[in-house]
Amino acid sequence: MATDLQRAVAAPAAVAVRALDKSFGAQHVLQGVDLDIAPGEFTALLGRSGSGKSTLLRVLAGLDTEYGGEVAVPARRAVAFQDARLLPWKRVLDNVVLGRRGKAARAQGLAVLEEVGLADKAKAWPHTLSGGEGQRAALARALVREPELLLLDEPFGALDALTRLKMHALLRRLWAVHRPSVLLVTHDVEEAIALADRVLVLTEGRISLDARVELPETAPRRSREFADLRDRLLAELGVAESER
Amino acid sequence: MTSIPIKSIGQMDIRAALARLRLDRLRVLIGPVVLVALWQIGSATGLIPEQTLAAPSTVIAAGADLVETGRLQEHLLVSLGRAATGLALGVAIGAALAVVAGLFRFGEDLIDGPMQILRAIPALALVPLAIVWFGIGEEVKVFLVVFATAFPVYVNTHAAIRGLDPRFAELARTAELGRIGLVRHVILPGALPGFFTGLRFATAISWLVLVVSEQINATSGIGFLMTQARSFAQTDVIVVGLVVYGLLGLVSDRLVRFTEGRVLPWRRTFNAR
Repeated sequence: MATDLQRAVAAPAAVAVRALDKSFGAQHVLQGVDLDIAPGEFTALLGRSGSGKSTLLRVLAGLDTEYGGEVAVPARRAVAFQDARLLPWKRVLDNVVLGRRGKAARAQGLAVLEEVGLADKAKAWPHTLSGGEGQRAALARALVREPELLLLDEPFGALDALTRLKMHALLRRLWAVHRPSVLLVTHDVEEAIALADRVLVLTEGRISLDARVELPETAPRRSREFADLRDRLLAELGVAESER
Repeated sequence: MTSIPIKSIGQMDIRAALARLRLDRLRVLIGPVVLVALWQIGSATGLIPEQTLAAPSTVIAAGADLVETGRLQEHLLVSLGRAATGLALGVAIGAALAVVAGLFRFGEDLIDGPMQILRAIPALALVPLAIVWFGIGEEVKVFLVVFATAFPVYVNTHAAIRGLDPRFAELARTAELGRIGLVRHVILPGALPGFFTGLRFATAISWLVLVVSEQINATSGIGFLMTQARSFAQTDVIVVGLVVYGLLGLVSDRLVRFTEGRVLPWRRTFNAR
């Protein structure tokens, strides 16, 4: 029944979730989540570990099909995980076009690799890539599907701080060009504010905070607004003032 | 005068070539050479009697003689044929069963149990039964190789399929690969390293089984050559047979490893370099 609802894409919002429940045994992970994401909106989902944020992403990705409530998502979705998850036995380009058919797919794959700056690695084996390169390949694999909804599950969590900053800029750039709706699951408050237009906090299976990100054009990361929102989000996540 | 620089360049080339050949690798030969030398001295001084073990020089002469008369080649071809036929069938059966058991729940239930039970039987314990079934012709030798080689291929391929990272299956779903795509792009290539491990075991085992079955009842093959030599106490011919078996094992293992390297270039191996 849940899958029937997924096919009803006619909704004006890219994502429409109503009263979503999900439990593993006696553990209620999601308890009545309501969520709309507009087409082209960049949303970040924060939560402490175990808050159910990855579960919500998996439901939207179609990886979890047993749940209660209603979920409407676009047909064209793509996911990037925390691990690049490249098939070790396929070269980078073949990984990017995995599941795509036809001659156009390879040309398209190359074009996307070019976009993420990995064109010269098209023929490389995945194990020769660095962590950042692997994640860029994973982003390329997601983008080649021209998704209406791009789901990112802590995609930069395993990267070093410098690489992460570069990936942030790349992701923003790619989003500006392709304009998919994005749901970025992360535990990094600053990453969420820096990347998204809207930040959600998931607490005990419910969305407990829904904030717009409005930062000044110049030096947004050092602005007063950034610091204020950061404090608000950290407080919502249960981080005491002395710990910030 | 012009000849001097040319000559020195030539010497430099030789030195560079020797360096490239990695002469230090030849150090591994020191042990075997000393051993053979001791063996030769022992034989020459009568310390090792001819009926116990022929001298290395005698063995080489016997080998040369066998090659000259064509007997070695003839029997070698027969043995190779048996091993290749048995191995090909055994590997095909083992791999096919592993794929069915690995991909389908009913296959797992139907195949894995019996395979794990049969695997406990040493192939050579089947010799009496195999003779009752197939007589003492070619079939019995090939059958024993098939039986013995199917298991290592099955066990390793099956384990590789079972051991595949479930996150790859998840990826296949997000990439909308479908069932056939999952098998083709994820499961089969992912199981290949396990298959090759099985193939290497199978290759080694095929010679082992062949040695025994050719010594029990055969009128051709390297094993037969050695059994025949035993009746005449020709230890030199027996040692020739041993050397040939050893070389066959070595060469076939190298061949499998070479193929493995070619087929699995994506693997991060420590022995690649």
